Amino acid sequence: MTIWNYVVTAHKPTNVTHSCVGNFTSPQDLNLIIAKCTRIEIHLLSPQGLQPMLDVPIYGRIATLELFRPHGEAQDYLFIATERYKFCVLQWDSETGELVTRAMGDVSDRIGRPTDNGQIGIIDPDCRLIGLHLYDGLFKVIPFDNKGQLKEAFNIRLEELQVLDIKFLYGCSKPTIVVLYQDNKDARHVKTYEVALKDKDFVEGPWSQNNLDNGADLLIPVPPPLCGVLIIGEETIVYCSANAFKAIPIRPSITKAYGRVDPDGSRYLLGDHTGLVSLLVIIHEKEKVTGLKIEPLGETSIASTISYLDNAFVYVGSSYGDSQLIKLNLQPDAKGSYVEVLERYVNLGPIVDFCVVDLERQGQGQVVTCSGAYKDGSLRVVRNGIGINEQASVELQGIKGMWSLRSSTDDPFDTFLVVSFISETRILAMNLEDELEETEIEGFCSQVQTLFCHDAVHNQLVQVTSSSVRLVSSTTRDLRNEWHAPSGYSVNVATANATQTISVRIFSLPGSESHHKGTIRNNRREIILSSCAFEGISYLLCALGDGHLLNFMLNTSTGELTDRKKVSLGTQPITLRTFSSKNTTHVFAASDRPTVIYSSNKKLLYSNVNLKEVSHMCPFNSAAFPDSLAIAKEGELTIGTIDDIQKLHIRSIPLGEHARRICHQEQSRTFAICSLKYNPASGEDSEMHFVRLLDDQTFEFISTYSLDTYEYGCFIISCSFSDDNNVYYCVGTAYVLPEEMEPTKGRILVFAVEDGKLQLIAEKETKGAVYCLNAFNGKLLAAVGQKIQLYKWVLRDDGTHELQSECGHHGHILALYVQTRGDFIVVGDLMKSISLLIYKHEEGAIEERARDYNANWMSAVEIVDDDIYLGAENSFNLFTVRKNSEGATDEERGRLEVVGEYHLGEFVNRFRHGSLVMRLPDSDVGQIPTVIFGTINGVIGVIASLPHEQYVFLEKLQSNLRKVIKGVGGLSHEQWRSFNNEKKTVEARNFLDGDLIESFLDLNRSKMDEISKALDVSVEELCKRVEELTRLH
Amino acid sequence: MDSLLGNWPSFDPHNFSQLRPSDPSSSSRMTLPTYHPTHSRTLPAPDQVISTEAKNILVRHIYQHAEEKLKPKRAASDNLLPDHGCKQPRVSS
Repeated sequence: MTIWNYVVTAHKPTNVTHSCVGNFTSPQDLNLIIAKCTRIEIHLLSPQGLQPMLDVPIYGRIATLELFRPHGEAQDYLFIATERYKFCVLQWDSETGELVTRAMGDVSDRIGRPTDNGQIGIIDPDCRLIGLHLYDGLFKVIPFDNKGQLKEAFNIRLEELQVLDIKFLYGCSKPTIVVLYQDNKDARHVKTYEVALKDKDFVEGPWSQNNLDNGADLLIPVPPPLCGVLIIGEETIVYCSANAFKAIPIRPSITKAYGRVDPDGSRYLLGDHTGLVSLLVIIHEKEKVTGLKIEPLGETSIASTISYLDNAFVYVGSSYGDSQLIKLNLQPDAKGSYVEVLERYVNLGPIVDFCVVDLERQGQGQVVTCSGAYKDGSLRVVRNGIGINEQASVELQGIKGMWSLRSSTDDPFDTFLVVSFISETRILAMNLEDELEETEIEGFCSQVQTLFCHDAVHNQLVQVTSSSVRLVSSTTRDLRNEWHAPSGYSVNVATANATQTISVRIFSLPGSESHHKGTIRNNRREIILSSCAFEGISYLLCALGDGHLLNFMLNTSTGELTDRKKVSLGTQPITLRTFSSKNTTHVFAASDRPTVIYSSNKKLLYSNVNLKEVSHMCPFNSAAFPDSLAIAKEGELTIGTIDDIQKLHIRSIPLGEHARRICHQEQSRTFAICSLKYNPASGEDSEMHFVRLLDDQTFEFISTYSLDTYEYGCFIISCSFSDDNNVYYCVGTAYVLPEEMEPTKGRILVFAVEDGKLQLIAEKETKGAVYCLNAFNGKLLAAVGQKIQLYKWVLRDDGTHELQSECGHHGHILALYVQTRGDFIVVGDLMKSISLLIYKHEEGAIEERARDYNANWMSAVEIVDDDIYLGAENSFNLFTVRKNSEGATDEERGRLEVVGEYHLGEFVNRFRHGSLVMRLPDSDVGQIPTVIFGTINGVIGVIASLPHEQYVFLEKLQSNLRKVIKGVGGLSHEQWRSFNNEKKTVEARNFLDGDLIESFLDLNRSKMDEISKALDVSVEELCKRVEELTRLH
Repeated sequence: MDSLLGNWPSFDPHNFSQLRPSDPSSSSRMTLPTYHPTHSRTLPAPDQVISTEAKNILVRHIYQHAEEKLKPKRAASDNLLPDHGCKQPRVSS
């Protein structure tokens, strides 16, 4: 039992919530700044496109992101407000490359009702004040003084209670806001107010407009010379100012994003909820607005934010699909679209469900997520490590080495593949039909093992054997010269470049002597050296015979070795080979745990290759198989291409519809999903709901079951029942009728996969939505509305089966999430946190054993072990509770004790037991149990249960890291991680922030030394311990 | 339509001029270095740590109205008291 948890991000948030463009890093720079909930990204526009600059973690959920230019400044400042009412103003120091905090503060109020429609943060175009709408009925003002400094904030009472949008108007002598609001008869209006700074009050503004489009939702302020405001409704767009009122009807749509194109405010890009981007133009003559015009341009991802960049390029940020870089063309394409998508940027959000499967049966979990929404729905396969795409393979036993050679010095492609065995060498080559066939190089000695081969200058090849070095013409293949080893000697190790062949000895390595101590076993303690440059930095890599790798920074002029690091890459001797992928240097470490070593942001990274054991490898860049690798594994030689080198590899399967639940069935090699498809083209929105069967390799739809009208698929599991050898998919549904507040009817559907088709075997009607299903004691446990219901699978007289109710348990508000372990049932309730039930076999009854009496609105639950249960709730917190079986009284035993609390900052939709990485029996971290979670912002995270001793050590490390790594904008990590909901805020306990802990590896040496001194642990030991944790994800 | 498109604003005509797009059918992930500030300028000058004025909005409103009521009052006249100096005669024994 362990209550100590380590929370770490495997995949960062990718949902784009805000974006803005301005001169942030320099007056001459044009920057795109993107917010992804808890992170901002700073990009520089360049001739090559968007140049990534920085990823900045923010200790808060970003509610507002605005660039503004204070009086007298040459560069823009960045205003950030968080959902927990903190704000900061950031400036970029271009000399140091640092973000400097110009101002910060807490603008929360003790009394106030958080605004229902979300926070609003706006800045007066003339930088006289910042306006915030955080609480209904209040408008908060942070004034600027005439030097651009902020002053004390104050509140003004705002009469409008249902505010939809507020913006500052341009061109007003006094700061003026326009408020879009809904009255208590559900009519929508706009009104303007001047902010009287001296009186700290509103004065009635220059104009107002009543009775707008009932779907009016968005205000767009128009800069000079036109000024005024655009009001975007579902059926109408209105331009309104003191002098003019213009309206045009539009195709019914919900506009959620806009980007201004022109500095004079005459053109705007609008993105709607179907991903259609339109150009809205204000027609004007002599600074007088005469009309509006709107033209559809084309389809993009459903935009949450649109930023015009430069030269007809536009950034489309998305919450429901991948974000995109698009170009606006002057001429339409074949489909009539003016929009050209040039880049797509991964967005996994929202992850509404996922499963963990080993699709390639390599012993490592892959996460398959239901991602995206509406037309941008997809499945994503997320895998740690690098995959090899096999193109050709041949059975060959006993490979001892492999090298690729060219047929001439100037040939850009490899032609020969030399494969070495114990007592012979064979040559494979690409023939004119681009097939791999055996061939000969006459000048090579083929009756012995080859130790090394390399291309040499002047159309020559070099072969090194234990007794000789041979120089061979690559064109005629004849022997040109040969050097013989002196009698009694043999060559053991060799390497070469194009002009030299060398063998080397190093008598000692700095700091490595001690690692040679210990019992010498059968395997020789060989050292294989490789010097290579990554991102312009030279390293010396030393592979030891025991599977460890040392790396040093190498000063190529002095030969000095510094910054020694040691990592474990397996248990067998390693061979190293350099190769190139996408014009970047990589090193392949072949062993029982093959790894690719590469550099990213001046840091060496290790990514495992999804192969069991690789004995040898070499690059093989042939015309038929460009940029391929030749890989020798047990009994087989494979040629294949390598996936993009990344820690996590993501494969996207677009569905064109919204997948909401997913399950894998090993026996039938299928996935099943619950999905819904929107048909906006059919007049009014209509939805169709399906259960679909997919092949688990190709992800093709192979069978579909249509649910009834209004019937939603809520859950799906694969399970079997007592006394029945079949495996079934069970689907829980709900009839979501427009007139019902809560579904009163649902079904449980039992499917078998027969001949690749979903066959409905049984169905059971329920008196409520089936929110969750579990296989339980050979039966089916269902969460139906406010009830937990247990069904058994009963054989009828006619030989068919049916679900028959056995027993149930009432007492929940809504039982949304259920997990089981043995006879115990853990229930996550809509409002009443977690309760623990137990099934009593003999009595056929389910009883409550204990509950957490906090009022947590749950979003996910999981069982960590027999006594510890993990929950996520809708204020973005994680917590753990413990069963107290040894309590002295019934009351004590009936209470689940809260033993851990932590603010994750993410809405978790699903926990699953599992691991993204291979679990290795000899590794320390391999024994740590882990839970994977998926969130609305597309985060994939890992929660690991740690032993207490490790937790205590890491807690000290975290505490010291807080002092060294500051929060951007002055935001506090301690406050950020405090558990916080409407009722309470308490310090985080028994959870560690793995993102902060693993940032230790990004520090420079002097900062590492600082922490090492404080903890009295060496830097090497700290790096080793933290690096091991990075292998959890 | 032709008159609406085109003339797209340009801050630097070289921006995106050498863009080589990746395969748009596959998503890419930009790799950005993570920023970990270790410098001391994450905190602003003390007078730039902003909070909301403590006075409650309703109290402020009441005070403003109270001040308004006081302003137009006339100055008290000098002869409010009657000549005899008493509001009513006291009974003397």
